[in-house]
Amino acid sequence: MTTEVAPEPADLLTRLQERFPGAVEPAPEPYEGLIVARDRLVEVATFLRDEMGYGYLSNVVGVDYPEEVNGLPPRFEVVYHLFQPTGGPLTLHVHADRENPVVPSLVSVFPAAEFQEREAWDLLGIRFEGHPDLRRILLWEGFDGHPLRKDWHEVYYEEEKKPFSSRWPEGHPVMAESRAPLGRNLRYPPGWSPEDWRPTADAWGYRPHDEVAEQRNPAMPVDRVVLNMGPHHPSTHGVLRLLATLEGERIQKLEPILGFLHRCHEKIGERNTWLGNIPYTDRLDYVCSMTNNWPYVLAVEKLMGVEVPERAEYIRVIMGEFTRFLNHAVSVGFMCNDLGIYFTVMLYALEEREFILDLFEMTAGSRMMCNYMRFGGVAHDMTDEAVGLARELAFERLPRFVDKVDAYLTENELFRARTVGVGVLPPDQAVAYGCSGPLLRGSGVPYDIRRADPYSIYDEFDFDVITAPDGDAYSRYLVRLGEMRESLRILQQALNRLPDGPVMAGKKKATLKVPAGESYGRIEAPKGELGFYVVSDGGPNPYRYHIRAPSFINLGVMGELCRGHLIADVVIILASVDITLGEVDR
Amino acid sequence: MESLSRFLAFLADAIVNIGDWIRGLLLGAGLVDPWVSLIMKAIGALVVAFFPLMVVVFLIWAYRKVAARMQGRLGPNSSGTWAGPYGILQTFADAIKMLTKEDIRPQGIDLIPYNLAPILVVFASIATWAVMPFGPRLIGSDLNIGIFYILAFSSAALVVFLMAGWSSNNKYATVGAFRSVAQLIGYEIPQLLAVLTVVMVTGSLRMQEIVGQQEIPLLFQLPVTAFIFFLASMAEVNARPFELLEAESELVCGYFIEYSGMKFGMFYLGEFMNSTAVAALFATLFLGGWRGPWVEQAPILGTVWFLLKMGLMLLLWMFIQITFPRLRIDQMLAFNWKFLVPLALANLCVIGLVNKGITEWFPGGVSTWTRAGILLMTNVGIFLATWGILAALERREQRRRETWRAAQVGEVEVSA
Repeated sequence: MTTEVAPEPADLLTRLQERFPGAVEPAPEPYEGLIVARDRLVEVATFLRDEMGYGYLSNVVGVDYPEEVNGLPPRFEVVYHLFQPTGGPLTLHVHADRENPVVPSLVSVFPAAEFQEREAWDLLGIRFEGHPDLRRILLWEGFDGHPLRKDWHEVYYEEEKKPFSSRWPEGHPVMAESRAPLGRNLRYPPGWSPEDWRPTADAWGYRPHDEVAEQRNPAMPVDRVVLNMGPHHPSTHGVLRLLATLEGERIQKLEPILGFLHRCHEKIGERNTWLGNIPYTDRLDYVCSMTNNWPYVLAVEKLMGVEVPERAEYIRVIMGEFTRFLNHAVSVGFMCNDLGIYFTVMLYALEEREFILDLFEMTAGSRMMCNYMRFGGVAHDMTDEAVGLARELAFERLPRFVDKVDAYLTENELFRARTVGVGVLPPDQAVAYGCSGPLLRGSGVPYDIRRADPYSIYDEFDFDVITAPDGDAYSRYLVRLGEMRESLRILQQALNRLPDGPVMAGKKKATLKVPAGESYGRIEAPKGELGFYVVSDGGPNPYRYHIRAPSFINLGVMGELCRGHLIADVVIILASVDITLGEVDR
Repeated sequence: MESLSRFLAFLADAIVNIGDWIRGLLLGAGLVDPWVSLIMKAIGALVVAFFPLMVVVFLIWAYRKVAARMQGRLGPNSSGTWAGPYGILQTFADAIKMLTKEDIRPQGIDLIPYNLAPILVVFASIATWAVMPFGPRLIGSDLNIGIFYILAFSSAALVVFLMAGWSSNNKYATVGAFRSVAQLIGYEIPQLLAVLTVVMVTGSLRMQEIVGQQEIPLLFQLPVTAFIFFLASMAEVNARPFELLEAESELVCGYFIEYSGMKFGMFYLGEFMNSTAVAALFATLFLGGWRGPWVEQAPILGTVWFLLKMGLMLLLWMFIQITFPRLRIDQMLAFNWKFLVPLALANLCVIGLVNKGITEWFPGGVSTWTRAGILLMTNVGIFLATWGILAALERREQRRRETWRAAQVGEVEVSA
């Protein structure tokens, strides 16, 4: 990421139009950003990256517009969110033909696009020309069609939107499954037979090994072994499959294979009402549900233009920072589990988590699936008792825990032996791959959205952005440890200054009117940049609802991190990247 | 009064006296001597074989309890289903569960080694108990090559791990088996060298003789040797910092991943029995075995001392199991070949020379205390020398790392 001074947006547009005449135009209302001509996209992106300082491609999302929506013709659209070291997004729109959607791939400019373009191909069927490996990523090859296209219908379920009434024709519920005739509930692509199917990932894995990677020592060729770690493995933190080619115990090539927990969250989200999506976001990263609500609420609030009362902002910050603490504590604990200290450190972390969950229960009414934030505030006020518990945790108990972990692990010889120098991620690579959160800051890049593009009231707090220089698993541990301390600092300030007042702007409403438009809300979630891209057509449901999941995008660099390491290191690297499969697979 | 003293005398060496009593009964019943000896040996073998099993049943419970307390939990207890006071019957419940489970056999296994491995793993660790001295007169068989016999059987475990890993037709198991060969062969060398040092100082391979020589426990005469032996035997029994054959978080279960039901239970049992055997061996070689106060008066106390010392070692083993992370295979082998083996060799040579020197220079012999003092001083010397070399190496490594990092930082600045 270069440190060039950011040009003004208007200035940017004129510079782009001078450089690429006719290729760039501002997006019409209600859209933001620029529309870029398809054939000049790679040049424009390269120019933006090299000369304008937009070095961080955060989000790639495809949208299907089969009809005229918001005043633009039928099309496929790919939206890119680019960022400078500070400030908000530059949104690029690229339009593609509805019948034959082809868009040039940006992988050569931003490797971060690799997984996300595969996702857009998988779910929307937009082909990215020049993508090195355009395969399905979340769905399997036997899936017919691309589910996020508006003209794709689920086999059971033939309605566009969630038809509340039609499920209760005469006051009796009708299961959608009962409408599907037996045996017709599965649809394969035409000409595809499950008997002849060999998963493409496996075809990659079991190819003659010389194609996969070169022998390390040609004078002494070694037989290679293909090892499947997962989907059932104690250290993959869920149903993740890592397909590794080994030479002895050394990883030659490794690829994460995703989608075992895929439920097409985004499709379901497009059927739900705006409000009904809030509890659904809890299920993404089930370790820290509080921070999952937040960016969605931010994105929709931006569309609706709602002001959030001050007390509600403070409560959001308190909940968010407790969630960050909880996530980092559990993450360090699980890392120790993978190191072989079975459950000792993890149970210490879970003990603290219990107290934080108690606080969540007191405030939101639920421990893990909190469903707490609303458009324009939070669902319930914090009681005095809850504030008391929060004060005790933030001032007394949790600092002791951090000190304890610090004393046990930071200078521990064996811990250092296993983590120092393992899975080194250079800073330029971290930025190019779109990594975020402790993974990015562990490589020495001081990029924290709370500081770079402050949302909520983070500009009012005094805290440091923690970085560690080496980019290895130990650095990520150090960043997590430091961020736990910084979280406590923010919590102490917030609890000391917590104002009185309402926690909700206006009245609680079950149905809301969200004006047409697009919006991208993002926060610094514990695992990285969690962003929600929503498009509204003024209707009761989101027209498009996309999640930029940090775990998913951080996994894109996993293969690079593991190359040349031993099997034993893979689990440490995975633990230091810190993923939750609920968020990866969505 | 007389009966009480007779009873006390009986109690003072209860186990041996019970043996004598049974022998008397059999002789009185008219059996001739070779048969009586045979029956007595059979009973003795049964007792010796069941002793480690009983210890392990208790040990598994104790391990779970200690682990739970260290992790802020309760561990097995009676709050759910009743499992005895403090959950002491939990292990029995687990054993019954294991026995009633389905025996799953994967496809493509090599049937004979696959089925033989769980039997041999328990057999090998039971067999080591035959020569373990429990008391002055209480030993299965006082072989004149006792310690050699134990080492031979503990090496057999290597073959068992290889059999289990290779025959399972599973990549994780195979990797576990590879590791077992690399690890166990590697760590056998320092273990043997440490034992050799002990044998040299005590002058015997016979277990009772080794114990008999330890008026001052060898731990206080040869601390470096004890340290080497302890580390090497931790690796031999596959305990936590060296627990690479199983490596739950990487290899899931290592060499016995494909075993289920009681076959899995046998491996589990074998692991705990090996640890018990190694703890007993350490207690015998370095802590003076059954030696302790009042053993002359009441030989049964010898067994108590022995069990206490063994328990102490097991507790240490538990603490390490619960709190240590695992090393990586390359680090572990590097530690062995670059540190432990050279140290053990140097230790052997120096102790050998000093030991010989004592006998040469003092033809009239020296008191035990003088001898122990000289050996201890030698050990301190070895320790200081090792420390110095390690510190020098560490400083060099530190300098190298700093120059490397400075170079890295410089590069980043240039590119930005």
